[in-house]
Amino acid sequence: MAGGGILRIMLVGFAALVLGYLILPTFIVVPLSFSNQNYLSFPPPGWSTRWYEAMAGDLAWPQAAVNSFLIGVPTALLSVVLGTLAALAVKRGRLGWAAAASAVVVAPMLLPHVIMAIGLYPVMLDLGMLRGFLSVVVAHTVVAMPLVFITVCASLGSYGEALELAAMTCGAGPWATFRHVTFPMIRTGMLVGGVLAFATSFDELMLSLFLTGPGTRTLPRLIWEQLNMFLTPTIAAVATLIFAFSLLLLGAAAALQARGRAQPVLRHG
Amino acid sequence: MAEYSKQRGAGVVIEALAKRYGEVEALAPTDLTVQSGEFFSLIGPSGSGKSTLLGCIAGFVPPSAGRILVNGADIVAVPPYRRNIGMVFQNYSLFPHMSVAENIAFPLRMRKLPPGEIAGRVERILSVVRLPGMGDRAPSQLSGGQQQRVALARAAVYDPPLLLMDEPLGALDKNLREEMQYEIKQFHRAIGATVLYVTHDQEEAATMSDRIAILNHGRIEQAGEPRALYEQPRNAFVASFLGDANLFEVRRVDGAIADRIAVETSDGLRLVATHAPVTVARLVACIRPEAIRLGNDPERTGETNVIDGVVADVVHAAGSVRTRVSVGDRLVTVRAATQRNVTGWRVGEAVRMAWHPRDTLLIPKE
Repeated sequence: MAGGGILRIMLVGFAALVLGYLILPTFIVVPLSFSNQNYLSFPPPGWSTRWYEAMAGDLAWPQAAVNSFLIGVPTALLSVVLGTLAALAVKRGRLGWAAAASAVVVAPMLLPHVIMAIGLYPVMLDLGMLRGFLSVVVAHTVVAMPLVFITVCASLGSYGEALELAAMTCGAGPWATFRHVTFPMIRTGMLVGGVLAFATSFDELMLSLFLTGPGTRTLPRLIWEQLNMFLTPTIAAVATLIFAFSLLLLGAAAALQARGRAQPVLRHG
Repeated sequence: MAEYSKQRGAGVVIEALAKRYGEVEALAPTDLTVQSGEFFSLIGPSGSGKSTLLGCIAGFVPPSAGRILVNGADIVAVPPYRRNIGMVFQNYSLFPHMSVAENIAFPLRMRKLPPGEIAGRVERILSVVRLPGMGDRAPSQLSGGQQQRVALARAAVYDPPLLLMDEPLGALDKNLREEMQYEIKQFHRAIGATVLYVTHDQEEAATMSDRIAILNHGRIEQAGEPRALYEQPRNAFVASFLGDANLFEVRRVDGAIADRIAVETSDGLRLVATHAPVTVARLVACIRPEAIRLGNDPERTGETNVIDGVVADVVHAAGSVRTRVSVGDRLVTVRAATQRNVTGWRVGEAVRMAWHPRDTLLIPKE
């Protein structure tokens, strides 16, 4: 069909335009980071890798990267555990208030982080947890858990409860049912949710500004501070690395989802 | 079917079993006894309580009151995974991440049987359900009928004394369904377990079951052998749910002479029955379509029930002819076996319906 072909080309063209508009500005940081100038200018008049060397030379950057991982990984793990439990309760718990519970769990994703930060700040201060790893991990878990909740809910919605009931009539207790049936069915959702939760924590600025201190400073917070003081292409170099890493995470999430859909028979042993 | 170790099915006694959801009574206090080794069907429209009853026995639905005795022991407090009951679900519910053999082995693994014995049992039951050598396939690679046979094998491989089936053929098309009905019956004979079978298809239940319970609005309207239910329905609901029925509301009982009893219907027809009517206020007369004979010779018939009408439509189905005759503003259905060289009735033709008084069943409306 010729008409369909033209429509299709127009659709692809439009999608490419939108994507280009949204993503191209992000790509600008890549050439900026290879500039040989002391300031940010586009296009750069010459090329060098000196800003990457400057970044590696400044101990603050690797320290912030380590902090981001020390916060991101526990956040992802906590989010996966709590988000999965919440999803199981809402989807399989036969609760009268499941819809209300879902709304409460998802709410932090929609609330402005600054409002949550204002609320958490005095609480953490009172608890004496301010500027420690735990406070920011808790805060990040609150905003990252909804992602796990949503992906695991989708996994649980993709098959009927009858599968678990079948396992039970076969003699599997609650734990064995989870281990042998529910977990294999939702593990892709849990993994994708975990990757997204990590990415959320890794990118988060507002809560980190309020809750981290010099010892727990994350990458986004360090970038923010550096931007306030001096605008050098070092930041573009950091941004480029973060950008590449985020793309990697996104790719991993997409690949996991594709594998989950293929749904192969997994051989044990 | 291959040889299979046959064992005795469980006797099931249900005593005053009830389930309410708030104000809604999903199952009124119900009593039921199922004999060991029996093939027993629960039928009824959706929302009649048949699935609730099955769910209570499987352990998915906690009953509000009552007892469920399997071989004499009350199982109400026993969690589903310790009841040792087999269950086949409507949509097979095979584990998609496991192969056919792994699916069937699952209940045996949960029972911690040695791997050698598991393999032997899986192989044996695969040949009972006529899927030998299919163990390595994924469930998604099988047809609907094959998947349902795997589900049967998984539910029966651990020799449960009681097998529950919740509309197991609901997802299959008609031809396959009839084939599977036969296979399930064969399977039932091979394993000897008691089977409780839920369906909304009365024909399927009548074909397969030793006995049937008909449920409506959360209660059992009548339980018995399919033929008894058909010939002596307890009320209008049972009469119309199991097979076709021409139902006439009775306005007045005119009186009895010898064993004959005459009634007048709400549309003014006079019918004669042999049965003494039950002493309830509202009666209906039920006449099965195959009890009525059609003729156009007014002198020919010696039957005491005679009604004249006009042929409204004629449908030739496989093996039988269904003729509908309009009498006043209602239609009466008549069914007869197809006969070679006998032409049917033409639409618009005047026709006389006649039947014997014993085929006029006077039953309570409710």
